Amino acid sequence: MRFAPNEDQATFLGVLDQMAEGHEAHWRTSPDWSRFDWSAAFDRMLEDNGFLDCAREETLGLVAAAALTHRVARLPVLAECAASSVLRPMVGAELPRPIAVVEGRDDAATRFLTVARSVILIEADGIRTAVLTPNAVAPVDSLFAYPMGRLTPGATDWRAADADPQRVRNAWRAALAAELGGVLKGGLDAVVAYVKDRHQFGRPLGSFQAIQHRLASAAAKIEAAYWLALKAAHSLDPADAMGALGFVQEAATRITNDLHQFMGAMGLTLEHPLHRWTYRARLLRSAMGGAGTHLQGVADTRWRAA
Amino acid sequence: MDFDWTDEDRAFRERVRDFLARELPADWAEMSRHGPGSKEQTAFSLEFCPKLAAAGLLVPHWPAEWGGSARPAWEHFILGEEMWAAGEPRGAQYMNVNWIGPTLMRFGTDEQKRRYIPPMAAGKAIWCQGFSEPNAGSDLGSLRTRADRDGDDYVINGQKIWTSYAGLAEHCFLLARTGQGNGKAGIAIFLVPMATPGIDVRSIPSLIGHGDIHETFFTDVRVPASARLGQKGEAWSIINYSLANERVGIARYELADRVLGRMVDELTQRGLFDDPVVRMRAGSAAAACDAARILVHRTVDKRSRGEVLGAEASIARVAVADAETVVTDFALDFLPDAFSGPGDLAVQTHHERAIVTGIASGSIEIQLGIIAQRWLGLPREMR
Repeated sequence: MRFAPNEDQATFLGVLDQMAEGHEAHWRTSPDWSRFDWSAAFDRMLEDNGFLDCAREETLGLVAAAALTHRVARLPVLAECAASSVLRPMVGAELPRPIAVVEGRDDAATRFLTVARSVILIEADGIRTAVLTPNAVAPVDSLFAYPMGRLTPGATDWRAADADPQRVRNAWRAALAAELGGVLKGGLDAVVAYVKDRHQFGRPLGSFQAIQHRLASAAAKIEAAYWLALKAAHSLDPADAMGALGFVQEAATRITNDLHQFMGAMGLTLEHPLHRWTYRARLLRSAMGGAGTHLQGVADTRWRAA
Repeated sequence: MDFDWTDEDRAFRERVRDFLARELPADWAEMSRHGPGSKEQTAFSLEFCPKLAAAGLLVPHWPAEWGGSARPAWEHFILGEEMWAAGEPRGAQYMNVNWIGPTLMRFGTDEQKRRYIPPMAAGKAIWCQGFSEPNAGSDLGSLRTRADRDGDDYVINGQKIWTSYAGLAEHCFLLARTGQGNGKAGIAIFLVPMATPGIDVRSIPSLIGHGDIHETFFTDVRVPASARLGQKGEAWSIINYSLANERVGIARYELADRVLGRMVDELTQRGLFDDPVVRMRAGSAAAACDAARILVHRTVDKRSRGEVLGAEASIARVAVADAETVVTDFALDFLPDAFSGPGDLAVQTHHERAIVTGIASGSIEIQLGIIAQRWLGLPREMR
């Protein structure tokens, strides 16, 4: 067992950190006060620099893809990473990206569809893929902080993917766990910076024990979520994958509510990015069936598999 | 990054399990209810630990010079998981393995090492931990027990409380104040034989086992200067080193996880595990145990690379306390009859041990403060 990254993984994550500090990934308000900031420039940088192909590299693997997904999710800008880095290598297709993932019902409002060039459909009995045509997607207004769209009925030419559906589902759960963990970490970092800076009663908000303890509790959950997600990406074991996603989905609302509590009215504005992480977490909380499904799945896998 | 056990690790765990299956007596479940500090378990540990030592399973991770085989830190932890899950047949001696021995190896004089480490490595040493005082619990740095220099000796006066395993211990890892003022800089560590005149121990009846916690009174207790551990001004960093090891030293999540498995078996037999609410709660408890396990394992990994533990140990401890709570709640909600009458010994034992998790080794509030300040970089609370 080794938690430290190998040399290639360390270099990969180090360069990614540098890229995440670039202006393409920085927070800026949207001119139209949109709930999200889709950064085509940062998304393209990830692709052009080969980050999204890391899972195919033997010394990087799916663990690096999960760590990449977590890191990108921490940013205030939006790029499509989880499907491209974790799922694309598994579905056996050179799908053009960005890629949207539709879970179960192909008529559901789905994130990234309006910017995607291809789509992966995860159904109970199989995996299908399609390259999107110009009229295949209709945009959907949404509270969630993603570009949301819906597939136009009959406008998608699905092809069965040559991939083990269970393996793909487990990889997707691990990717979602990494992503939701990263989203929560992004929000936590923003609030920690705020409570260090904001003074009331003549002292920083972050020096009050009532605030410290709740942020520390959130930090412990977020740390656990990160490592559980990486382990799940490493093993692709169903109990690991459902446990990682169920754990972070169960923790998400309490954490985001606390983060908003400590940001006060500033967190209600669109002039601070906290809302972006919050409304990504709100969507990811229910991904693949939500915490209830996954935690029951942990129990069933562990104790009722026979 | 690699999260698999090696074949060698797995074989080692099987070896430990085989040893336990062979050496634990038929009435062990009943005996282990009394707690690691009880007379029964202490007496048993003095038979059991020498056998462990003879099999190379007491301190395999210690250097050969001190009775070990310089095995990886992971073996120490596999041992800890299996022992705690089995009810801790090492009794109080787990403290020697986890932190007292390593602390002496790192900071002790040659004489101290030669005197104290071999009996630990042989499984024949019972130590107690003289840290907390009536007015110095979470605020350990304000302790008042004094050790005043008198010629070649120190004379110790004061009172300790919650002293783990003091009733049957031969030695105490004792904190006392040698300097003036109230600061941490004036604190020193002494290795004190409990047979020294002037020490009086009173057992405190408790929820967590018989013989676990005590009041210990020191009245003109005279020890030679050679009983002092570490250099002047070094004690607080030694204490932090010890506590970081202690916080993650007990594999509490392992017992919690196994008791959860027992409860699921029982609920399945009763036909109650088909209930989706029960299954979801069981899954949630299992995930909480996994979260605690992976965070503790991260600290083991860090230690195995020779790095000193910092706030990661506190993060792990918070997750362990969460897991204990979730598993305990599961028992109370779905198997309440396990707590009355003959019930289920394992569930009862776990429940009694779990209640201490948020208090011992620094309360959860102390851990959260460490995480806030050292991990998140928040400013210290103004006083």
